[in-house]
Amino acid sequence: MKKILIVLSVFALTISCGKLEDLNKNIKDPAVVPGETLFTGAQRRVFNQMVSSNVNLNNFRLFVQYWTETTYTDESNYDLTTRTTPDALWDLFYINALKNFNESAKVIDATPLPAGGDPVAKKNKLAIIEVMEVYCYDVLVETFGNIPYSEALDITKPLPKYDDGLTVFKDLLVRLDAAIANMDSGSGSFGTADNMYEGDVALWIKFANSLKLRMGLLLADKDDATAKATVESSAPNVFSSNDDNAKLVYLGAVPNTNPIYIDLVASARHDFVPANTLIDTMNSLNDPRRPFYFTQVDTSTQAGVVKLAYVGGINGASNDFLAYSHVANLIQTPTFPGTLFDYAEVEFLLAEAVERGYTVGGTAAQHYNNAITASIEDWGGTALMAANYLTNPKVAYTTAAGTWKQKIGIQSWLGYYNRGFEAWTQFRKLDYPLLVAPPDALSPFPMRYTYPIEEQTLNGDNWKAASTAIGGDAVDTKLFWDKY
Amino acid sequence: MLAQTIIITGTVTSSVAGEGPIPGVTVQVKGTTVGAITDLNGKFSLSAPQSATTVVFSYIGMKTQEIDIKGRKVIDVIMEPNLLNLNEVVVTALGISREKKSLGYATQEVKGDVLSTVKSDNFVNSLSGKVSGVVITRNTNFGGSTNIQVRGATSLTGNNQALFVVDGVPISNRNTNTVGQSQDGTGYDYGNAASDINPDDIESVNVLKGAAATALYGSRAATGVVMITTKKGAQKQKGIGVTINSNYTVGTVDKSTFPKYQNKYGAGYGSYYDGPGGYWYMRDLKGDGIPEQWVVTSEDASYGAKFDPNLLVYQWDAVDPQSPNYLKPTPWVAAKNGPITFFNKAQTYTNSVSIENSLDNGNYRLSYTNFKNTGIEPNSELKKNNLLMNGTWKVNDRLTVSGSANYVQTDGKGRNGTGYNDNIMGSWRQWFETNVDIKELKDAYFSTKRNITWNWADPTDEVPIFWDNPYWLQYENYETDTRSRFIGYMTVNYKLFDWLNIFGRASTDFYYSLEEERKAVGTVPGRWGLGTGPDGSTGQPDGVPSGYLRRDYFSSENNYDIMLNVNKDLTSSLNLKGILGTNVNRQIFNRTIASTNGGLGIPELYSLQNSVSAIPYPNEYASKIGINGIYASASLGYKNYLFLDGTIRRDHSSTLPVSNAVYYYPSVSGSVIFSELLKQQWLSFGKVRLNYAQVGSSAGFDQLQDEYSVLTPLNSPMSAVATTKKNPDLKPEKTGSLEGGLEMYFLNRRAGFDLALYDTKTTDQILPLSVSTASGYVYKNINAGEIENKGIELVFTFVPVQTSDFSWTMNINWSKNVNKVISLYPGVDNLQLGSFQGGISINARVGQPYGILEGIDYTYLNGQPVVDPANGRYIKTSTSNNNLGKVAPDWKGGILNTFTYKNWKLSCLVDMSQGGHIWSLDMYYGLATGLYPETAGNNDLGNPVRDPIVWVDPSDHSKGYASNSGGFINPGVNPDGSVNKTRISAANYGSFGYLRVPDKAFSYDASYVKLREVSLSYSLPSSMLQKIFIKGVDLSIVGSNLWIISKHLPYADPESGLGSGNLMGFSTGSLPTTKDVGFNIKLTF
Repeated sequence: MKKILIVLSVFALTISCGKLEDLNKNIKDPAVVPGETLFTGAQRRVFNQMVSSNVNLNNFRLFVQYWTETTYTDESNYDLTTRTTPDALWDLFYINALKNFNESAKVIDATPLPAGGDPVAKKNKLAIIEVMEVYCYDVLVETFGNIPYSEALDITKPLPKYDDGLTVFKDLLVRLDAAIANMDSGSGSFGTADNMYEGDVALWIKFANSLKLRMGLLLADKDDATAKATVESSAPNVFSSNDDNAKLVYLGAVPNTNPIYIDLVASARHDFVPANTLIDTMNSLNDPRRPFYFTQVDTSTQAGVVKLAYVGGINGASNDFLAYSHVANLIQTPTFPGTLFDYAEVEFLLAEAVERGYTVGGTAAQHYNNAITASIEDWGGTALMAANYLTNPKVAYTTAAGTWKQKIGIQSWLGYYNRGFEAWTQFRKLDYPLLVAPPDALSPFPMRYTYPIEEQTLNGDNWKAASTAIGGDAVDTKLFWDKY
Repeated sequence: MLAQTIIITGTVTSSVAGEGPIPGVTVQVKGTTVGAITDLNGKFSLSAPQSATTVVFSYIGMKTQEIDIKGRKVIDVIMEPNLLNLNEVVVTALGISREKKSLGYATQEVKGDVLSTVKSDNFVNSLSGKVSGVVITRNTNFGGSTNIQVRGATSLTGNNQALFVVDGVPISNRNTNTVGQSQDGTGYDYGNAASDINPDDIESVNVLKGAAATALYGSRAATGVVMITTKKGAQKQKGIGVTINSNYTVGTVDKSTFPKYQNKYGAGYGSYYDGPGGYWYMRDLKGDGIPEQWVVTSEDASYGAKFDPNLLVYQWDAVDPQSPNYLKPTPWVAAKNGPITFFNKAQTYTNSVSIENSLDNGNYRLSYTNFKNTGIEPNSELKKNNLLMNGTWKVNDRLTVSGSANYVQTDGKGRNGTGYNDNIMGSWRQWFETNVDIKELKDAYFSTKRNITWNWADPTDEVPIFWDNPYWLQYENYETDTRSRFIGYMTVNYKLFDWLNIFGRASTDFYYSLEEERKAVGTVPGRWGLGTGPDGSTGQPDGVPSGYLRRDYFSSENNYDIMLNVNKDLTSSLNLKGILGTNVNRQIFNRTIASTNGGLGIPELYSLQNSVSAIPYPNEYASKIGINGIYASASLGYKNYLFLDGTIRRDHSSTLPVSNAVYYYPSVSGSVIFSELLKQQWLSFGKVRLNYAQVGSSAGFDQLQDEYSVLTPLNSPMSAVATTKKNPDLKPEKTGSLEGGLEMYFLNRRAGFDLALYDTKTTDQILPLSVSTASGYVYKNINAGEIENKGIELVFTFVPVQTSDFSWTMNINWSKNVNKVISLYPGVDNLQLGSFQGGISINARVGQPYGILEGIDYTYLNGQPVVDPANGRYIKTSTSNNNLGKVAPDWKGGILNTFTYKNWKLSCLVDMSQGGHIWSLDMYYGLATGLYPETAGNNDLGNPVRDPIVWVDPSDHSKGYASNSGGFINPGVNPDGSVNKTRISAANYGSFGYLRVPDKAFSYDASYVKLREVSLSYSLPSSMLQKIFIKGVDLSIVGSNLWIISKHLPYADPESGLGSGNLMGFSTGSLPTTKDVGFNIKLTF
């Protein structure tokens, strides 16, 4: 018997020599990565989300009636649930963006400087990451209202509570100020790991201030004092020309092309046409940006006669793809840059700031003219085109119809083309242009996204509390900053 | 002259204690028709001719005996039980043979011939309805995977499939389907690896159901074990035996599992195009300045213009210069050849030959099987070649060695696409034009070898927009797969003493497998290729025009066992059987996935180096895990009627943190054969049993330490945090199971039952908890949750008729499992198992059974659905977490009737499943797009439902609807409680389907009753064969899935799903079911 037991144990030992736990090693994925690589990945994903026209990800172009759909008109009619688009945006910002920025900062902070390393550059990197985090949270607050914040990004709290939107927003402004103060343009930062500014800290400071300007103005109707202070302290350091624009240049080859190219060209689908709401307005103004925005379509009913025109699809209705203008070819090229923020938007915001009585320098008309000019030039137009356009009495600030909200509202809507999210927020703030929900819409015009279905099913208690706090988890619940 | 006769009398009794004399035994003089039947006291009297030499005693359930008369006048016979053998030996855990009567837990055996008569590409399918407590969900995929679940789901997110063990060797039953495929993304069902087992090589299958039965296997068998014993050379008498078996089966589509189409309206979504009535495109393709009237080819719906044979229009083929209809208008009619004409007859050929030999000091068996199956879709084929040899050599009185080697080569081609995208069936069930003729599409493809589709982006823009020509898909975009597998073992058994032997076994199961997917240049671009998710299926790039993707797998599992076996009679009435053993288990699973990027440079060349852009980073996965186990068991038997078993196993797992890596699981079971105590004549056999067991279960590979993912760089390197937060403090899972059973046979075993009751609780589950993504993660690995399964299983046997020539046997299996998720994680009451197109999710919700379909419901008032009086539409819930039904059935049952008459045998299996739900994406979309007859009938006013709504007075709706109004009235009430009278317009697409109707409407009762198998066999009488050297000829005609007697899911099989795994209950674009009829011939020499 003893012999047998010895044989048994020897057998077991020979077979299982080496530590059993060593087997369970992942030898294919890294346990450690440089923090910069996390930043690069998160930044690209933010751009992709904001630029995308995929119906599963980003339907803001449809909400603001830049585009409308041809056959499958669900999203143009505000269907948010079938494709769970709120979930997509929420997941993108919390997981792909915020978590990765957060981790990037942790890793960079914990990584000792190599010999000869620049401690200021490291500080700059951390500040830039902070700016991107503020940007992401800002988008979430603008979209949903109350959101998980103080308990977010903490896996020990798998079901985080939601914080009051205004409180979050104000904290973001504090963080943004601190980040701006921490940036030093005398040193570099991410270098080529930053696909937006190649690490140019001076530009990042301008970006942060422009973001602060926009966030400040969003509070104007809710908390004028905070808005005024925020706007006035940021205004001197915002974008000053199209050279400052926050763009990401995509590559010619997948997977790093502009996502619109994938959605409109590579997919070979015919899902979208520009909406009549937009094209009719631009036609009435004889807007010089039309060739940069759209193609023309032959409207002739006579054989042998060609009559080209800009014609938009009927917003929210079923549309025959070939009967309408299409999205301009330039926008559909793989390398068409994605824009996160631009000078034109800043000038529109400054015009608004002047009208709201904030001291930012210049007149509303000057900023308005600068904005329109910047927009036309950025799309490829000339200064002359812009000057001519501004002489149009329907455009000129002094003669255009309506209140300042209407004038800035309509022109910023035209200027923000292809940037649905920014246009949506601007519309909700200024309430112009008058966007009417299509007759077949499933709901009134969306003033926010409903919370993700996954939050309803997973984080039910906190979701209920947040829904009650904001006045109901409905698309037409106005958010805290949206007073009118 | 009267023939001389002799009178023979006697009594027939049973050898089974307490059974006494047997009435109804057939007593027959051999070679004559002279016979008699025993009376109630087992007595008989027979007038036999003087020449008679032998009397044959036969009785169902007993071994037939031939007795030489030898001049006797009185012959008393004791008959031994045969069927339902009391001393039946079954194979239990670790391959240990045990007398069934001594077991304190439930097992159920199925003989190999029951599985191999009716052939299937996966023998597991043949178990359906034959074993109680086992839910087998086959699907209709070609070569697809089959789900086998014993006693319900015990694991929330882990594997719930039974473990397969062949001759004591655990083998892989892995399903390599991607996560994306299982949640209705693009993909194929590559089947599961148990299908490599050749049914012709199976001697018997024994299903170990509860934890007590499987405890010696440790963690891996918590979900039940299917023990397979292969045929050996030792079964037959000495000498060489040769068996040749040939089978040919033809499968035809069961039309009740494929759509019926409406035949009144053709292509379009409604009236908003530029042609007459808004139903047509006006395009000048002839260039004469006059636009022609074109079908709206870009639309994949049938909500267009009414058919009119007198109307000539330009259709999809009018742009194809090779078509006879090039630039010619054709009549506007419903297609003559609908999609059902696409299907071929499925053909299966199975040929096998085996040689077995039993020698003085051993035996061997060699077998070769060739299997070939062509599917119902063109250009689909599955081939298997299976070589098996096994043998035993008795070296001397003490030493026996044996070994087995099995090589299996499986090659698949043209498996059907599954899921929502790029699936022809999805098109035909959801997105199609009823005017499209499949034969014409076939001609268009074969005459051009181009992707001539019905679904042009526009007549002036001849690229396919959503759907390809189906023949193009089958002949250009087919997948191929191959698996080369070896399963083998060697054993050594040495008898140390009469009561003690030592047994050693080394076994291996390994395979290499390759899956290759193709997308030809010219196909509709779409989501395809390698994504960034853990298995490459999530985050796939969109708009991919063409490509090639390959997945290489290597899998191996090696087991080494050494066991000491004790078998000793301690006293004359007390027997001890004991085992002390050790098991070392090592498993490797490696996978590499690579694909082209941005399309193929050169058409028709499928290689990675033909990528247009640099290929994305391949996805590599390499896992190695191991378990070191030590186990012991002791069984005490007292006087053959009292049995007590105890087992204990200690496992050391590689996948748990060192501090928690060692764990124990005990089991104890007992049984009493009370019929031995009662000794009642009516009771042939009676046994009660009771057991309790605890099984531990380990984590999967790499669940402890966090890693990052590397992404394809944009100018500089990119990485990302993984979406699952791992956990370095995991503990083993625990399953506790209590089971009781009662087994009784009556009236000389003419009737009997085996009843089992069980209650299983699994706690401390290792699971990726879905967390709020605001935490920065999607999942967090935790130990939590409790899931309970309570159930009842009943096996009922009955022999209503039993004569010398004819018998009728009935076997009934019935089982019910009640599953409940008791808890998950503090504060968490739901675990989402998967999400699907249509906003549907499948969930584990606290207080509910495992697997709840959730989505949008109706809103209700007093139990009635509420309708919006403004437009006649149902008011839907704003939430998507409403219960649409549980997936698991309430109960399952099978009734097997077997009739034998002389050499004929007829058997017939009815398989049924009651309750459970299946959600149909086909109906969700197909009703919206107007494919089905439900969308094109007449309304309550007798008018076509698609006609517009007409008011008596359009300016005053209070005057009501005109008698010629279209539209229909949704049954329900208005928010004020009044009965809804508002008509909903059905003039444009969507009123019937997903746009206006809540998800609840598409959740169907998954119950079914199926005539699963019918077989008729005939064995040539040996008298006919004596002259030739053939020993036996068996012929049979078999049918399977011949008739779905009852079901509720329209146009599809309620068993159709995406694949095996935890996500059942979702039906989209499934292949139709086939009715299979085959012919089998078996020759033995």
